[in-house]
Amino acid sequence: MNNQYTIPARQTTILLVGIAIGVVSLLLTYFGSGDNELHSRFWSNILHNSVFFTGISLMAVFFLSASITAWAGWYTVFKRVWEAFGQFLIVGFVLMLILGLGLYFDWHHIYHWADAESVEHDKILQGKSGFLNANMYVIFGGIIVAVWYFFARRMRSISLHEDDHGGDSNFSHHRKLRWYAAVFLPIAGFTSAAMIWLWVMSVDAHWYSTLYAWYAGASWFVSMIALTIMVISFMKSKGYFADVTDEHLHDLGKLLFAFSIFWTYLWFSQFMLIWYGNVGEETGYYLLRKNEYGVMFYGNVVINFIIPFFVLMRNDNKKKYGTLLFTAGVVFFGHWWDYFLMIKPGVIHTAHELLGGGHGHGADAHGAADHGAHGADHVAEAAHGAADHAIHGAGEAAHHASEFLMGYNLPGFLEIGTLIGFLSLFLLFFWRTLASAPLTPKQDPFLEESLHHHA
Amino acid sequence: MAKATKDVIYGLYNDEEVLMNAVKVANSKHLEIMEVFTPFPVHGLDPLLGFEESRLHIGGFIYGGLGTLTAFLGMTWIFTKDWPVIFGGKPYWSVPAFIPITFELTVLFAAIGMVVTFYIINGMGPGIKLPILDNRITDDKFCIAFDKSTVDASTAESFLKETGAEEIDSKII
Repeated sequence: MNNQYTIPARQTTILLVGIAIGVVSLLLTYFGSGDNELHSRFWSNILHNSVFFTGISLMAVFFLSASITAWAGWYTVFKRVWEAFGQFLIVGFVLMLILGLGLYFDWHHIYHWADAESVEHDKILQGKSGFLNANMYVIFGGIIVAVWYFFARRMRSISLHEDDHGGDSNFSHHRKLRWYAAVFLPIAGFTSAAMIWLWVMSVDAHWYSTLYAWYAGASWFVSMIALTIMVISFMKSKGYFADVTDEHLHDLGKLLFAFSIFWTYLWFSQFMLIWYGNVGEETGYYLLRKNEYGVMFYGNVVINFIIPFFVLMRNDNKKKYGTLLFTAGVVFFGHWWDYFLMIKPGVIHTAHELLGGGHGHGADAHGAADHGAHGADHVAEAAHGAADHAIHGAGEAAHHASEFLMGYNLPGFLEIGTLIGFLSLFLLFFWRTLASAPLTPKQDPFLEESLHHHA
Repeated sequence: MAKATKDVIYGLYNDEEVLMNAVKVANSKHLEIMEVFTPFPVHGLDPLLGFEESRLHIGGFIYGGLGTLTAFLGMTWIFTKDWPVIFGGKPYWSVPAFIPITFELTVLFAAIGMVVTFYIINGMGPGIKLPILDNRITDDKFCIAFDKSTVDASTAESFLKETGAEEIDSKII
């Protein structure tokens, strides 16, 4: 039985090549011609992937904690995978710190709220500046990610310690784990929402949605499950994890299926309420995405809902490795795509503003004062009330539609390359962590239950 | 009822693990089990008894699809042809507004359709009384029953005793 993973040299080489592709892609983005003078594309690619992979590792720790708290046992044979996923939070900490320091040293202009001159003339940004500021981003954000990492590290070390010193009649290790897990759940629940507001939602600094954190968090969660399925299938094909049976993969498939639907539910709830309410300051977010990102906007629903829903609906499809693996791959890419759609439109909008374009006001939330500035030809429209925001916004959006920008309107080769780089980094880190400990937690009190798991 | 009666010998077990082992033994001895009754679904029992996978969920999918079509086409007809009303300045044919109701009817049709199908297939329904071997099999007892016309009564009895049945009894149903 292969209880100890050793990374084949070839695998390390492939992952290092992957990282090199990522680095080259980032350099090409920075120095190539496809970027504006603020390097928005370069920095938003870093933000996009950093947030995506940090979130995946957070969700692994979160779900592990939820499972421990719920007395679940089925996952125990492969719990080292989730423990190892969680350790990537230290890399996420560094990546987010780089982005945070960029706010102080003016490296990037992803966030509209970080531009002192814009804030000075903007009531809405002023109102949010108590939360959206560089100190909050670096210090508060840094502390939170450090706390996440502390729990991830502690829970893994308790689990590893249990291997050699566990098995006492008191289950002292498991009791300790339960304590950490129960404490981590509310912390992760509240702080993940705060981090999503700070890192992702604030890209559209004038806009907000109370559902957003759930929706983005569900995206992380589905990606985490998809990556787990892919990693375990790969390792099974190499002869490891012989005890992880169809039943375990079936349950992971169920989670992938269920949480894809959960994600869709949140995505649609957010969309429909904004569509129905038709408040100008809210609709701007979707108008921009529908008009300028049509393929991605509707494609988002197709790859993250239609495909997993219909492919995984049948019971036996969740037990077929090929089908499950295919869906996991599609959904993983799909949620990366989802994050692209969350981040890029806001970034390019901010770049337009800062570079003096000043476009896109109509769809955004500059409030009633903006109408006055637009002059007499808008008076008639203003009389129509709130609904004219939409009409006006659509006009502005149509103006943008002519400017197709690779890397903003659609992920280009450089974005895919960056994804490959970050994914390779994640996997290399993950496999090195996984290889440093036995694969089966042999003293875990739930191991026996997990070995006989029947779904 | 017009159904022919059956002379049944059955044993009651206290634990589902014991029951599972008994079923395995019966399979190895080629004893034809008439039916197994359990108070809750026992995982892994179906393949041991050689049951095919239920097709009820295919029915569920079809009923659900009917619900989707009913809701969506129904609302489309009502709001564009039959009685068009403007709500909040939205177009008559407002797909996003239809989706929650479409979802609800999909679930409703699938649920009711599957329940009705399940009842019909099993010959259950209001007013129909089905024979029960022992009331406790709906509570905490696990039961294996043999039809005396296919399995010799003494063989069945010794099998039930050997595999750990707590009580053995016969009944004509």
